[in-house]
Amino acid sequence: MKKVMYLEFERCIGCRSCQAACRECGGHDAKERNYVEYIDFFESRQTFPMMCMQCKDPACARVCPANAIQITEEGVVLSAMEEKCIGCRNCTFGCPFGIPKFDFEENKMYKCDMCYDRTKHDIAPMCASVCPSDAIRFIDHEEMMELRRKRTQMNLIEGKKPSENDKWQYVPEFFGVYSD
Amino acid sequence: MTEFVVKPGVKNIQNKGEKLITTHCCYCGMQCGMHIRVNEKSGKVVGVEPRYDWPVTLGKMCPKGVTAYQTVDHEERIKTPLIKKNGKFVESTWEEALDLIEKNFKRLQNEHGKDALSVFGGVSMTNEKCYLVGKYARVGLGTRYVDYNGRFCMSSAAGGFMKTLGIDRGSTLPWPEIEHTDCFFMAGSNTAECHPTSIQWLWKARDKGAKMIVADPRETPTARIADVHLDLRSGTDSALANGIMHLLVREGYVDETYVNERCNNYEELKASVAKFTPEYTSEITGVAVEKIIKAAHIYGQSPRSVVMFARGVEQQKKGVDNVSLYTSMALLRGQVGKFASGVATFTGQGNGQGGREHGQKADALPGYRKIDNPEHVKYVSSVWGIDPSEMPKAGVSAYEMFDEIQAGRIKAMHVICSNPAVSAPNNNYIWDGFNKLDFMVVSDFFLSETAEFADVVLPAATWAEDEGTTTNLEGRVIRIRKVKDPIGESKPDWEIINLIAERMGKGKYFGYKNVPEIFEEFRLASKGGKADYYGITYDRIEKEDGVFWPCPSEDHPGTPTMFIDKFGTPDGKANLAAVEWEEPGEVSDIEYPHTLTTGRVVFHYLSGTQTRRTKFLMEQCPEPYVEMHPELSTRYNIQDGDNVLLTTRRGSMTVKARLTKAIRADHVFIPYHWGKELSVNQLTNPALDPTSRMPEFKVCAVNLKKVN
Repeated sequence: MKKVMYLEFERCIGCRSCQAACRECGGHDAKERNYVEYIDFFESRQTFPMMCMQCKDPACARVCPANAIQITEEGVVLSAMEEKCIGCRNCTFGCPFGIPKFDFEENKMYKCDMCYDRTKHDIAPMCASVCPSDAIRFIDHEEMMELRRKRTQMNLIEGKKPSENDKWQYVPEFFGVYSD
Repeated sequence: MTEFVVKPGVKNIQNKGEKLITTHCCYCGMQCGMHIRVNEKSGKVVGVEPRYDWPVTLGKMCPKGVTAYQTVDHEERIKTPLIKKNGKFVESTWEEALDLIEKNFKRLQNEHGKDALSVFGGVSMTNEKCYLVGKYARVGLGTRYVDYNGRFCMSSAAGGFMKTLGIDRGSTLPWPEIEHTDCFFMAGSNTAECHPTSIQWLWKARDKGAKMIVADPRETPTARIADVHLDLRSGTDSALANGIMHLLVREGYVDETYVNERCNNYEELKASVAKFTPEYTSEITGVAVEKIIKAAHIYGQSPRSVVMFARGVEQQKKGVDNVSLYTSMALLRGQVGKFASGVATFTGQGNGQGGREHGQKADALPGYRKIDNPEHVKYVSSVWGIDPSEMPKAGVSAYEMFDEIQAGRIKAMHVICSNPAVSAPNNNYIWDGFNKLDFMVVSDFFLSETAEFADVVLPAATWAEDEGTTTNLEGRVIRIRKVKDPIGESKPDWEIINLIAERMGKGKYFGYKNVPEIFEEFRLASKGGKADYYGITYDRIEKEDGVFWPCPSEDHPGTPTMFIDKFGTPDGKANLAAVEWEEPGEVSDIEYPHTLTTGRVVFHYLSGTQTRRTKFLMEQCPEPYVEMHPELSTRYNIQDGDNVLLTTRRGSMTVKARLTKAIRADHVFIPYHWGKELSVNQLTNPALDPTSRMPEFKVCAVNLKKVN
């Protein structure tokens, strides 16, 4: 799996298609594992999608006392194994992004697995497949790097030039989720 | 015919024991491509798989599209005919239901004449069915009274395009081209919520630096990213368009060569926009002068631009004028008929385009023919095998049918694929009309609010249980495949029409055995008309990713870009609109001090009959609300979540407040997808456009009160 999940927050139109689609993925038990939230509905309709970062050294797995959270050889961080998960919810508190969800009825944690059934065949996860605004994409690492450079270049075309004081404003406003 | 269509190199997940069937979504005019997953053993629909290779949507779907399949085997489906006995529905057989329909239809026609019956159609169904609805009313029942819910949806766009361009095709250009456009002028269109999968093309264009100008009283998710957001008052579009054209003329942005060669009325237009200075326009519309000037310069300087609009400008008493003026804006810039530029309306219903072309309209016959034209009547009569003298005269528009009911001229109604109890304006009047009817039949697959008024409910099949074609918002004719057999005893609408026509003694004009047979007849009926489908076949649709009408012969490539050489008017020239500004049907006053506007949310479709039965969508948006600016709410001491009583001259309702600064402070907004006491159409104004007979859903005067 050489591809990355790539998020571009400001493209999000808040339709929550990614959440509906997440429920459709095989093995997801019709429960979504991603989030779409308003930044502040009082002020504007801007929303943003959020999903698992598939960390290299995931805090959720580290804090799991039962070693229930497995990482595939491609680097995908899976939901807690049913037979191991003790339902302590350490992972939901440990994750710096607030991603893992907890099923209180079944007493176990579940989370984004990047639609492992699909991505292991190099087919885009459901969320990235359906996202109407391309706020979530599943693309080659190279393509992502190109897109990042392009954003800066577009700023320059529009007549803005970074200076030592405001160069942070030119940092691309998005990031990729690496799985490799 | 192949069921699963996929281009070489495109990968899809195919689970064991499942098959994929390639089709399109049942909801809006985008008609997003999708594969439906079917369990091979049980034959049940189990899910959806993106159709990555459909060129218009590339696998993208909105939340309605993703969950569309869930309505097919839904537990609330009507599985047998229902007959109302003592105010309660009782399951019955088809024989009983048809007996009752035959008895009542014949009795009413004997007592009150042929026109005592009426048919109320819809356009969320295939071309084949839409075509049959017109034939069913005129030949099967012999009544003049047939109209459809497109009157609430896009008839103003049709009227405006007919006036200016001579042909009403929703988009003059194919959608994938718009990524090459430099500027979008979008008026009254919340595309991001109502046609979410079109956003990918707009975003692609923006990545290349395209500009967006959005005119909307709300800062919608579309307006949010606009370069200029023209936050106009509802109902002032004609002033805004005149104001922009004033600047186009004044600043020399008019493509004089194009206008001289291809348009009429330029001098009249110049004269009529002369007084619309930015200051005067600003006074009427409430948009800042600077914004108007900035928008005109951006639009005027863009080499390739598309003017787009939707229900916001169309659902007004001056809808046709608004459409004509916005279309004229594109004509002044010489954009129509060229690459990546032109004018487009976003069709709201799945087959809003195709469904309005083939004779469901009170005054229209297949192929966009007119019922008041003897030549047209002669041709269609010959296809139908009737004598031209048997063709009924023009009827009345959808809302006006309820006037006929109140006047006692219409005694019975057959509603097919529509839910006017929710979607028609001034609900109380509509409900009263239904109660006054002597006999009412509804074909639907869920017990809609309209069906609850019926004497007989016939179980119809869903879109996945029948095949046919639809025409998407571009004018591309596409293929809907049958995914499974109809549930229970339900039948596709064309079979129901067959059965009733037979009972009415008109079986020889119907008696279709399958859908392709209807398609063949319908191709012929449209032949030579403005919307000519004659050259389109199922095979071609499959091979060519859909075919754009007009397509007069099988060797004709179809027409992705319209009006390249000439327009559809008799002299081949476009008619620029010279229209005065006029107030909407109702203006706010001391008693009703604010403006109410209505619209959609991304999670629901039309009257909500389907989407309110879908779990995911209901979790996201379970009930209507009133959206208002904190600046307004504070005057009534209304907090977020408080109950608010809204009253207009026609009715009142109570909903929860939802506060946001993303709306004009003098406007409130309520989505319209709910029925009964939650229906905002209890409040809306049925002021009709003089040409299109479309009601003014988008503007009415309202007052507010906090309630506990």
